[in-house]
Amino acid sequence: MSQSLRTPQVYRRGFRDRLVEGLRYGGGVGQWSWLIHRLTGLGILLFLVIHIVDTFFVVAFPALYDHTVAIYSGIISGLHPTVNGYYWPLRWVFRLGELGLIASVLFHALNGIRIVLFDFWPKAVNHQKTLFNAVQIVFWVIMILVTIRVVSPLFSAPEHVPVLKTASAPAMVPSR
Amino acid sequence: MAKRSGAGRRVKPAGGFELLAWYWMRISGLLLVVLALGHLFITHIIYNVESINYAFVASRWAAPKTGFFWRIWDLSMISLAMFHGFNGLRQVLDEYVINPSRRVVVHTLIWSFMFALLGIGSYAILMFQKDEKYINQWELEHGRVANSSPSTSPASSVLVDSTR
Repeated sequence: MSQSLRTPQVYRRGFRDRLVEGLRYGGGVGQWSWLIHRLTGLGILLFLVIHIVDTFFVVAFPALYDHTVAIYSGIISGLHPTVNGYYWPLRWVFRLGELGLIASVLFHALNGIRIVLFDFWPKAVNHQKTLFNAVQIVFWVIMILVTIRVVSPLFSAPEHVPVLKTASAPAMVPSR
Repeated sequence: MAKRSGAGRRVKPAGGFELLAWYWMRISGLLLVVLALGHLFITHIIYNVESINYAFVASRWAAPKTGFFWRIWDLSMISLAMFHGFNGLRQVLDEYVINPSRRVVVHTLIWSFMFALLGIGSYAILMFQKDEKYINQWELEHGRVANSSPSTSPASSVLVDSTR
């Protein structure tokens, strides 16, 4: 029997039990795709909150926007001269985060297509394992290519390096 | 046990708001596959995060012919993503927050936060105006060759003189 989304018995216990119950359903392929779909969805949403706020700087504070996106290439700028500089581990962390973001969106999209396929073409359920394998193959083929493209710039200097040449950083206010 | 395989816990709601939300997640999701993956492909594969700055954003949103297209793209993307993402968050939290009055609090917080984000995001997309003076100043301070387009060269040459 397929369970209802909101079965009262499941929720009567404490928060921790609900959490465990939430992670445990069905088992097998369905459970893993469901769990990864949920976690990638929440992760993308968290990123979007940050992304919308930093893009708002484009209109409100152009200089702050440029200082902010420079952090993505490992460059701290516009602060005190003792702090300003290029930090390669920072650059690596953001690059790996970027890879994680692309992987999350890609998996969420492919698995989402799989879910929609089940919903609008119920016979697809009979091939659900094949479909999940197809999702995995497409995901990994694209991710290998993406990884090469995203990671390879790490082995050369960042494009923003000239920032370090300036003695006085641009003001944090729009120069309108 | 009839639909055990694959069906798992996925249940189509019988009707009402939850059924609309069910359709919404699928339709917006399919549109977002194109919009979000296209956006990622442009910003992370064709270009990369290290080449993105104010001038890059301006070259898209304030482009004379294609600017309108990119703004419509980004506006559709942010609207669909916000309603899709925060509805997803609501569905997740509804499995953990059962008390109806607590749900009211959680839903209020979720949708207030969403509309605030959608507000500042849409404001940025719709109200953006290219600041030529700022771009020229930035290029000057970062040792780039000043933009040679006719509209920008007089301003940048003035700035070059002022720094000497």
